[in-house]
Amino acid sequence: MNYNTEQTDKTTTVELTGRFTFGDHSNFRKLIEEMRAHQSETHVLDVTGIEFIDSAGLGMLLLARDEGEKARATVILRGAQGQVKRMLEVARFDTLFKLED
Amino acid sequence: MESDIDDHSPLTVAVPQSLSSDDVESLLTGENIWNRSDPIPFEHVIGNSPEDLSNSARFSCCLLPSDPGREWLGSLIRLNSDNFIECFDGMDLGDLCPIIGSDPKSKHHLLVCLSTRSAYHLPVARKFVTALRHRGLIKEATAPAVEMAVQEAFANSLIHGNLALTTSGRLSMDRFNELGDETKKRLASTTYGDRAIVLTAKKRKNGHIVISINDQGAGFTPREETDETTMPGQESTFGRGLPLIKSLCHSVTFARGGRTIKLTFDQIESDVLSADPAFIREFEAQGSIDAALRTPQNATILIADDTMLSREIIASYLRSDGFTNLVFAKDGEDALSQAKAHNPDLIILDIIMPKLDGYEVCKALRADPLFAETPIIAQTALEENEGRTRIFDDGATDLILKPLNKAELIARTKIHLENRLLVKQLRAYRERTQSELDLARDMQENLNPAPEQYRGTGFDYGMRISATFQMSSELGGDMWGLVPIDAQRLGVYIVDFAGHGLGAALNTFRLHSLIWSDQIRDPDPGAYLSNLNRHLKGLLPIGQYATMLYGIIDRNKTTFSYASAACTSPLLGDSTTGAARYLDGSGVPLGVIRDARYETREVPFDQNSFLLLYSDALIETTLDDGQFLSEEKLLSMVHETVMESGSDVDLAAQIADQFMDRAPVQLSDDFTVVSLQSTNGADGFTARDEPQ
Repeated sequence: MNYNTEQTDKTTTVELTGRFTFGDHSNFRKLIEEMRAHQSETHVLDVTGIEFIDSAGLGMLLLARDEGEKARATVILRGAQGQVKRMLEVARFDTLFKLED
Repeated sequence: MESDIDDHSPLTVAVPQSLSSDDVESLLTGENIWNRSDPIPFEHVIGNSPEDLSNSARFSCCLLPSDPGREWLGSLIRLNSDNFIECFDGMDLGDLCPIIGSDPKSKHHLLVCLSTRSAYHLPVARKFVTALRHRGLIKEATAPAVEMAVQEAFANSLIHGNLALTTSGRLSMDRFNELGDETKKRLASTTYGDRAIVLTAKKRKNGHIVISINDQGAGFTPREETDETTMPGQESTFGRGLPLIKSLCHSVTFARGGRTIKLTFDQIESDVLSADPAFIREFEAQGSIDAALRTPQNATILIADDTMLSREIIASYLRSDGFTNLVFAKDGEDALSQAKAHNPDLIILDIIMPKLDGYEVCKALRADPLFAETPIIAQTALEENEGRTRIFDDGATDLILKPLNKAELIARTKIHLENRLLVKQLRAYRERTQSELDLARDMQENLNPAPEQYRGTGFDYGMRISATFQMSSELGGDMWGLVPIDAQRLGVYIVDFAGHGLGAALNTFRLHSLIWSDQIRDPDPGAYLSNLNRHLKGLLPIGQYATMLYGIIDRNKTTFSYASAACTSPLLGDSTTGAARYLDGSGVPLGVIRDARYETREVPFDQNSFLLLYSDALIETTLDDGQFLSEEKLLSMVHETVMESGSDVDLAAQIADQFMDRAPVQLSDDFTVVSLQSTNGADGFTARDEPQ
């Protein structure tokens, strides 16, 4: 998994790309640290470019949400497609995140 | 591991060059893999990368180097072998041996054995599933579900099994970071990192595919399931993939005290013919045997009816019209054995019969590939709709009502026999054409340089050259080649004729002879293409054209000069930064207008440069996300691949491997990717003696 962060005003948008699976510990850790530093009110995790996610990847999304909540920020998941969309549905992530197309 | 071991014929083993021959020797002759005391004779075929090994040869086993990387993982698709085994220090398979081992009952269709350390960093599940797709073991439609299940099961075996990490409970960021650090530590350790993980796949006769994932951890007791359908939401999802796996498979079982998980996938056989290659072979062999064309009157007809009077009536009707090869059966079981004995061209079948009724006979016949297409006319007194629908569901071709009408019986018999005859004739014709097309395909593939040729040529010019070529289902129009000009200058071309099929292939041959004839000797790429176009225009009928790029890498001037006739935009990049850009590929296609002019464009090409040429199949094939590979995505794919391995990688092969993971097995157009990458700069193991 790779990512790009962009900060505008009070929103941090993170574009994630590639496969997001159990081996992505260190990238994800860096990502969380960057998000913390931004102190935005809204975190948008744009997963349009994620082509495959496993349950560990879902777990990391949950962590991102926890981190957001700690900083009193809203966390939005944007653009899930294909396999990612199906995984989010199976795990009922609609009840945990704000989902956007 | 396969029956070929038992007859003591030598095994052919693909061996990476980086492995020491001692390691290979001890691995293959020891009892480590095959737990046999008698040594198995074997022959090596050595390659520096999977691309060096012939993809038409059959290997009993392919060894992978320690830490195989994506490159060697790609051999799962590139090489014709069922066994891929990483050769690493500290390898101790223990009770995994029997899984790989020589028990013929455990014969599998694909086996991959990796160290935990390597497996952790590789997209193993993805590549395993791509390999199953390419072997026709799973269908395109089931592949996504299989991949998700294999990914979860594989992650569980790796993380909870081999690495013995506990991830239960709610995961906090601190806990997550600890887990990450611990993972790194354990991967580096010999206790955990050296443990092996084995994936196998086996197709059962009933079409089910069984995938097993085997680890060397402490084992796992499946918990009493209280709620197996929902995924945990608030809780950590790490290692909680089991409910997900269960929802994706037909069944899940455990063995070896929870260190083996077996996933069974039920494939819906919507397209029976493409399912099983063995089945198709049998089926086609059958087709050609009785392709000896019979006239309807010579046909063998089986009459199955439990009353003698009915049999006689039917026989007399048929005889009166010239059908004399008649065979009889007096009940359902007899019908099956008579069918097997005489292989009839048509079966007239009564529904109400002792022992087996007509429905059962129908079903049994249709389940046998031999009789999959034999016309069956069911005769019945049943007026009710249910029975009539049911007999068609069970495979009858037609239905005729009792009492029989002579004219109707004969008419229906003739129609079905003629249909069958036509189908057979068509099939025989198709087979003949097919074998000729296969020959043409081979010839066409031979227009492209073989790996040992382009590897050697590349070496002479201080470049690593990699290429992947895959023909579409039919003949195609792609071609590429290298033209050494002098010690400093190497020409390269890539061609794509419009369309595919025989016409495009013939045109490819025409162009190939033009390129290699002495008629066109222009040293300048633009002038070369202009001249080539003039010659080609005279040969090609209106409406046929080709796209082509011809360029020259000049090591002395450190340039790449090229001309393009509507070719895909070549990618020029830098091996040290991974950055690449598209070059201008515009120009009139070849064979369109007689006096087309082609501009020679020149760009710097130095010791860090690489060039990627490709046919449009790379960017115009619908991938698993329903989209084409966009320009940006190709750029980032190239960037990541180069950053991961620098110039020490078969770039084109890597791009092709990633493409194959996401593209359908059968491509609708020819696929060519070629990379030329300087080796002088980055690690300089060649061309030191190159005059500057």
